Amino acid sequence: MLFRYLFILIILLPIKAFALIEVDITRGNLSPLPIAVSSLSIDEESKESFNKILKNKDMGLEISIIVENNLKQTGLFNPLNKNAFLQNPDIAHLKPRFEDWALIKAQALVTGKVIFIDEKLRVEFRLWDVLAAREMMALTFTTVPSNWRRVGHIITDKVYERLTGEKGYFDTRIIYVAEEGKKINRIKKLAIMDQDGFNTKYLTLGNELVLTPRFNPTNQMVTYLSYFRNLPRVYLLDIETGVQEVVGDFPGMTFAPRFSPDGKIIIMSFAMDGNSDIYTMDLENRIVERITNHPSIDTSPSYSPNGKYICFNSDRSGYQQIYVMKSNGSNVKRISFGKGIYGTPVWSPRGDLIAFTKMHKGKFYIGVMRTDGSGERLLTQNFYQEAPSWSPNGRVLIFYRETKTDEKGEGFSAKLWSIDLTGYNERLVETETDASDPSWSSLLSN
Amino acid sequence: MIRNIAISSTFHLFIVLITAMSLPFLSKKPIDLPPIISIELIQITDKTSIPFAPKAKKIIEKIKKKEKLVSEQAPPKIVKKEKPDAVPLPDEKIEKVKKLEEKKQNPEKIENEVKQVSEFEKEELFDPNSIAALIDKSKEETAETNKKTNKITQDQDRSIDMTGLSLSEEDALKAQIFGCWSIPLGLPYNESLLVRIKLKLKPDGSVIRSEILDHARMNKPGQGFYKVLAESALRAIKLCQPLRVPTTGYERWKDLQLNFDAREMLGG
Amino acid sequence: MELSKIFKNTFLVILACLLLSACATQKKVETGQMQGDVYTGTDTVKYLASGVADRVFFATNESVLTTASRDTLRKQGAWMRKNSDLTFVIEGHADERGTREYNLALGERRANAAKDYLMTYGVAGNRLSVISYGKERPIDSGSNPLAWSKNRRSVTVKAN
Repeated sequence: MLFRYLFILIILLPIKAFALIEVDITRGNLSPLPIAVSSLSIDEESKESFNKILKNKDMGLEISIIVENNLKQTGLFNPLNKNAFLQNPDIAHLKPRFEDWALIKAQALVTGKVIFIDEKLRVEFRLWDVLAAREMMALTFTTVPSNWRRVGHIITDKVYERLTGEKGYFDTRIIYVAEEGKKINRIKKLAIMDQDGFNTKYLTLGNELVLTPRFNPTNQMVTYLSYFRNLPRVYLLDIETGVQEVVGDFPGMTFAPRFSPDGKIIIMSFAMDGNSDIYTMDLENRIVERITNHPSIDTSPSYSPNGKYICFNSDRSGYQQIYVMKSNGSNVKRISFGKGIYGTPVWSPRGDLIAFTKMHKGKFYIGVMRTDGSGERLLTQNFYQEAPSWSPNGRVLIFYRETKTDEKGEGFSAKLWSIDLTGYNERLVETETDASDPSWSSLLSN
Repeated sequence: MIRNIAISSTFHLFIVLITAMSLPFLSKKPIDLPPIISIELIQITDKTSIPFAPKAKKIIEKIKKKEKLVSEQAPPKIVKKEKPDAVPLPDEKIEKVKKLEEKKQNPEKIENEVKQVSEFEKEELFDPNSIAALIDKSKEETAETNKKTNKITQDQDRSIDMTGLSLSEEDALKAQIFGCWSIPLGLPYNESLLVRIKLKLKPDGSVIRSEILDHARMNKPGQGFYKVLAESALRAIKLCQPLRVPTTGYERWKDLQLNFDAREMLGG
Repeated sequence: MELSKIFKNTFLVILACLLLSACATQKKVETGQMQGDVYTGTDTVKYLASGVADRVFFATNESVLTTASRDTLRKQGAWMRKNSDLTFVIEGHADERGTREYNLALGERRANAAKDYLMTYGVAGNRLSVISYGKERPIDSGSNPLAWSKNRRSVTVKAN
C-alpha cells in the first residue's frame, strides 16, 4: 500500500516540471541586416604587382567595395562604414575579436585575404556570425588578375546565398540597347555591362536600328532584331568573335527573338501580310517550325524554364493579353483577365511566376502573376515603362522607363530600372548612355 | 455658347456659396494650448489587463465558453477518484494532460498551473491517505479558479475605467524580443515561416542552452530559408540577453519555448 | 451665420478662385485636327504629287482604314498606275503608348492594310514592299494625344 503511494509520488513530482511556457513571437523589425565587410588583407608585394598589371592601388579594398555595393543594392543588407571598424583586416581574417564587431552592431562579418601568386590572383574569404561568434563559411578562388571584379561578385553570391537562403545574382551581365540622339531619330547600339554597371562594351556601331537583344543560356551568343540594309530580321551574334549572321531565310520581318532554355532553338515572331505568328528555328539543323497559326498578332514568346510551355502575347481576344501554350503550340489558354491590356510576358527562372507589362487608363505597370493567371500583383506604376527581365534567381526584375517630353517635344530620356519581387527597392540602374530593352544573363560562374 | 456660360456660372456660384458657408472664421485668434504629453506607467503583474480590441474580445468569449465546458466535465471525475488504488494513477496523467491542452487554448490557464504547483510545493509531507483528498481539492480548485477568471474578465470592463494598464510578464518578454528580431527580408512568404526554439534559462534571464525544434529541416535541400530564419531567431535571442524574465517563479519559466512566426510580417 | 460674414467670405472665395483658375488652353483648336482618335490634319503630311498625300492615319490599336484614309489611298493608287515604273515602300508606324514588340507587329499590320487597299485598286503587289518601324520613328516627339495620333500612320515612300 505504502509503496503504491510512493510510486504515485515519484510520478507526480517530475510531472510538475513538464509545464512548458510557450511564447509566440510574431513581430520583429524588417530592417536590412547590418553586415561589416572588411577590406581583404593584402601583402605589399601583391599590392605592387596588381598595381603594375591593372593600375589597381589596393586590390583588397577594391574587392571589398564591390561586395559592399552589391549587398547594399539588394536592400536586404546594411554594410557598415569602414571607418568604424576597430580590427585590422590582417588580424580580423585570422581570428576576429567578435566583441569589437558586435560593438559596432554588426551581425555578420566578411573578411578575406588576396595574394598575387604564380601570375594569378588568389582570394580567400570567410563569413562570420558575429553574435554566435563562429565561422559560417570559408572559400578560396584562383583566377587571372583581370577577373578581379568577378571575384567580388562571386564572393557576394556566396555570402548572399548563405544569409538569405537564395542563390545570388551578382556574377551576371546585362545586355541592353544603348540609345542616343533626338527622339525622332534615335541611334541605337547593342551594349553589355556587368550587373553593377561596370565594364560596358558596345557590340554594334549604331549604323542600323537594333532592338530587343537576349543572351543564350551560356551567355556567349546574343539574338536580337536588326534593320541591317533596311530589312528587319532576327540575327545571331557571337560575343567573342563579333560575327553576326541572320537567322533563317524568312520572306518577311522576323522579330522578338529568344533562346530556348537548352539554347538549341530560337523562338521568334514572323510577320507576313499583316499577320504575326510564332515560329521556332533549330540552330543545328535549321528546321523551321510554325507554333501559332491565328490571324491575330502573336508575339513576345517566353519559354518556361523546363522548356515545356511557352507564354506569349496575343490580341486574338481583341486586345493584347497573355496566353500559355504547350511548346508545340497546342493547348492555348488565356491567363490574363484583369482590367487593362497586357504585354511582354516573361517566365521566371524559378518557374513559379510570369512578369508582364500592363497598360490601363493611360498608365503603365510592371507586375507578376502565377502561371495560371492568379495572384496578379502590380509592383510599380509609371507614365511609360515596359519589358521586365528576371534576375537568374527569380527575385529581381529589370525593366526600362521613358520620360514624357515637354511642350517643345524635348527632354526625352530612357533609363533602366530594377525592382525587387516584393515591390520594394525600386532603383535606377546606371548606364553610360540612355538605355532600353534590358535582358539579364544567367550566372556566369556555374 | 451663351447657354453654356449660363450653366457654367450657375455651377460656379453654387460652389462659391458652399465654400463661403463653410469657411472658417479668419478674424478670430487661435487658442494657444500647451502641448499635452501623456505618460503611461505600465505595471507588470501576473495578468494582462490591457483593454482588448473587439476581435480579441470575441476570441476571449469563445475561450470562456470552452472554459465552462471544461469545468462542467470536472465534477464527474471527482466521483471516479473517490475509488481507491488502481484508478488514481492513470487519471492523474489524464488530468495533467488535459490541463496542458487547456493551457494552450487559454493563456490565462497558466495561472491555474501556478497555483497548483505552489500547492504541491508547499506540501512537504505526503500523507498517503490524504492524497485522494488532495486530488479532489485540486479539481475543486480548477473549478474555483475558472469561476474566478470569469469574474475577472467581467470586472475588466469596470477596471478599464478606473485603474491604469498593466502588462503581463509574457507581453513584456514579447515586446523585448520584438525589438531584437531582425527578420531576414528575402524570405519567400508562401512557405511555412515558423521556427520554434526551446530555451533553458538562468534566474537572471540569460540563456544556458537553446535548442531548435525541427532541427532536421535546417539542412534539407530547398529549405535554405528555414536555416536563415532559424539563425535570425537565434541572433535575436543572443542580442536580447539577459531576457526580461519575471522576478519570481523561476521554476515556472526556466524552460521557455519561443515560437518565431514571420508570417504576419511577411504575409503577402 | 451673420450676413456680413457670408458676404465677406463669398468675396474672399471668389477672389481666391480667380487667382487659382488657370487660363484655358488652346484645346478647342485641336478638335479640328482629330476625329475621335484619328488624326485628320495636314501638319506632317507630305505629297507624292499635287493633291496626293503620302500618308494615312489610324485610331489607337487599330489598323482599320477610315473613309478619309481610303480616299487618300485611292488618289495614291491612281497616281501609281499613271507612273508604272515607280516602286514604293509602305512604312507602318505606331505611337509610343504600347509595348515595343507588339507595336512592330501593329505597324506591319497597318502598312499591309494600306498595301492591300492599293492592290485592290490595280497597283501590282510586286511594286509595293512593306516595312514596319513600330514606335521607333515618331514624326512628332510630343507626349500628348495629338502627337500620338500623328505617329499612328502608314506612309508611302518612293523606292526608286
